[in-house]
Amino acid sequence: MRNIVLPGEMISDRPQRIENTYVENGRTYSKIMGMYEPNSRGVIPLEGSWSPNTEDTVVGVVMEQRNKVFVIDLRFFGRCLLVPGKFDEYSFEPGEIIEAKIKEVENRKTIVLSDGKLLEGGRMIRVKPKKVLRVIGKKNTMINQIREITKTDIVVGLNGLIWMRGGNIELAEEAIFKVEREAHTSGLTESIKQYLETRTKSE
Amino acid sequence: MTMDAMDTVKASHIRTMIAGNAREDGRGAYDFRDIKLTAGLLQNAEGSAQAQIGNTTVLAGVKLDIEEPMPDTPKQGNLIMSAELLPLASEAYETGPPSPQAIEFGRVVDRGIRHGNCIDLESLFIEDEKVWTVFIDLYVLNYDGNLFDAGTLAAMGALMNTKVPKVEDGEAVREDRTKKMKINNIVTSTTFAKIKDKIILDPNGDEEMAADCRLTIATDGEKVKSMQKGKSGGLFKSEIEEMLGTAFNKHKGLKDILESSQV
Amino acid sequence: MGGGPNKPELVIKGKRTDGRDFNELRPIKITASPLENAGGSAYLEWGNNKVMCGVYGPKEANPRHLADPTQAVIKCRYMMAPFSSLSEHGRSGPNRRATEISKVVKEVFENVVMTKEYPGSQIEVYIEILQGDGGTRVAGVTAAAVALATSGIPMRDLPYAVSVGRIGDHLTVDFNMIEDNYSDSDMPMAIAPRNNEILLLQMDGDLTKQQVLDGIQMGIDAGKQITEIQRNALKAAYEATTK
Repeated sequence: MRNIVLPGEMISDRPQRIENTYVENGRTYSKIMGMYEPNSRGVIPLEGSWSPNTEDTVVGVVMEQRNKVFVIDLRFFGRCLLVPGKFDEYSFEPGEIIEAKIKEVENRKTIVLSDGKLLEGGRMIRVKPKKVLRVIGKKNTMINQIREITKTDIVVGLNGLIWMRGGNIELAEEAIFKVEREAHTSGLTESIKQYLETRTKSE
Repeated sequence: MTMDAMDTVKASHIRTMIAGNAREDGRGAYDFRDIKLTAGLLQNAEGSAQAQIGNTTVLAGVKLDIEEPMPDTPKQGNLIMSAELLPLASEAYETGPPSPQAIEFGRVVDRGIRHGNCIDLESLFIEDEKVWTVFIDLYVLNYDGNLFDAGTLAAMGALMNTKVPKVEDGEAVREDRTKKMKINNIVTSTTFAKIKDKIILDPNGDEEMAADCRLTIATDGEKVKSMQKGKSGGLFKSEIEEMLGTAFNKHKGLKDILESSQV
Repeated sequence: MGGGPNKPELVIKGKRTDGRDFNELRPIKITASPLENAGGSAYLEWGNNKVMCGVYGPKEANPRHLADPTQAVIKCRYMMAPFSSLSEHGRSGPNRRATEISKVVKEVFENVVMTKEYPGSQIEVYIEILQGDGGTRVAGVTAAAVALATSGIPMRDLPYAVSVGRIGDHLTVDFNMIEDNYSDSDMPMAIAPRNNEILLLQMDGDLTKQQVLDGIQMGIDAGKQITEIQRNALKAAYEATTK
């Protein structure tokens, strides 16, 4: 049974390593508002900002170029830099949208990116970073069905920025926002599938 | 407010859509977003109203204090309008002294209501050297474009809902507020944005950012009471004519919203 | 505080002027996440107090020289709206009282927010008192805790605040405006419910040592109800969208 837990709520009366919790005087407490199922790995956040991790795929906008390094806006409070590797020859213009991977996070606030790739045309939307995992779905099921039914190219950045191009882009966008709104509900993949199919038929 | 790279991307998307006669939220060019007006939601203030146009939320509070009249209008009450862009309303708003944007907002709403003679200022005369000063404070709680129309609706709604305290020995007795303040006229405001050669009504935050220029028209349905152009783009006479026509057409609907909020 | 010659009767036939018992709170209503743009928000009505609270961040500390490389900086602003009181129009902008309240409220959240998780950043807490009727600072803290929870910022606890004072011989919880003006003593406090640690404590007037201790216990007892209201508001905001 998944329950909503709140900051300071005791999760266990013994010390345990559970994500998004802390231990005090031998007891384990949640440090966020989230969903928790007893004996699961962690408290799943309902809200919050993104904490970057190595290998995360991100989407951002090129702000400026300093020598060979590009400053990227990921809507993250720290600095984000795309540093070309030995064989990379980047030529991005300010304002262009790119996809990249996180190579390194320094002191939780400077992000170094690699594998920059231009995302041409299309548009970009923003969802709450904590909802992104639902937009992707288990083993990409959610995002893949949105891609298939709407025929839209979609790149999801774990930082909450999502790039889209082509197909029934309006429907794809609506579906993603629907997932964001209903992220904490169960049976979402199936209900979004039905939503997409009904909407596709009616158009 | 400077445009960062993110805004540039968004702006270019909106400009493309508008050029193709489409809006992000599916509205027609001259459609308002949903409007909600709640009057009388505060009890300490002499008058109050909260206007929501889409996700833009403006709260107006009215206080009446006994003060001296202005030297050139000794038989009339005073009107003082201020606006706060609260930092909780937008990432872009900061603490500190009022920004030029906040000052413009307050002054534009003030002009429509002042020149519309909405408040019967003569009814606010108490005795020689004593009149009521009407303080209207506009509190922006959430910003998503078109503050002007939401601000005018909130201010007008709050004024229509304002009660004047009883005066005893030259002092206000605020516990006794049964007399409604006299309202002479109802002014509404309609704001347009121009993007390339297209005109749209009630721009949301993104549209306002993407726009070349903006025009706010306040009217009582008979006359134009105030106008304010914003941003650097230009307007042709034919465009202004069209916007004036639309502003007059929209007045009735907005006035109905104001009147039905007063229950 | 104190009274003067026009001090009204605050206790009539063993009840308070608004009919409450001495340990009875006014009705409290909280809405979680009412604002679209803020990272977290809460609207609270506590008796006739009406409070809107919004939270932004963590974001890059500004100005940069105020950034702390080891933890997040919390900025807090408590403000009374110029139309918030029944008496005359208030001057806008922070005065000395608001500045002091902003500081002690900030210290509450410096305790519970896990600032070490966001070095170099800042977290902003804005408390706007739209209508004041005694006890606005405790209403503000109670609302801000809910707003912070909706922003997802990690916290050790969900603090609440309440005030306890004295009317004659009676320790009394949650003064309204009249009681606030004419009571003999007032003691606002903020408390972390998981261990009853006291995070804000102010007091003026006069109380015996025992009254201070009994007053704190009275606040803790009343707090159980406040905590419940905070928690229900948060859960309701998420359960409502489930259907």
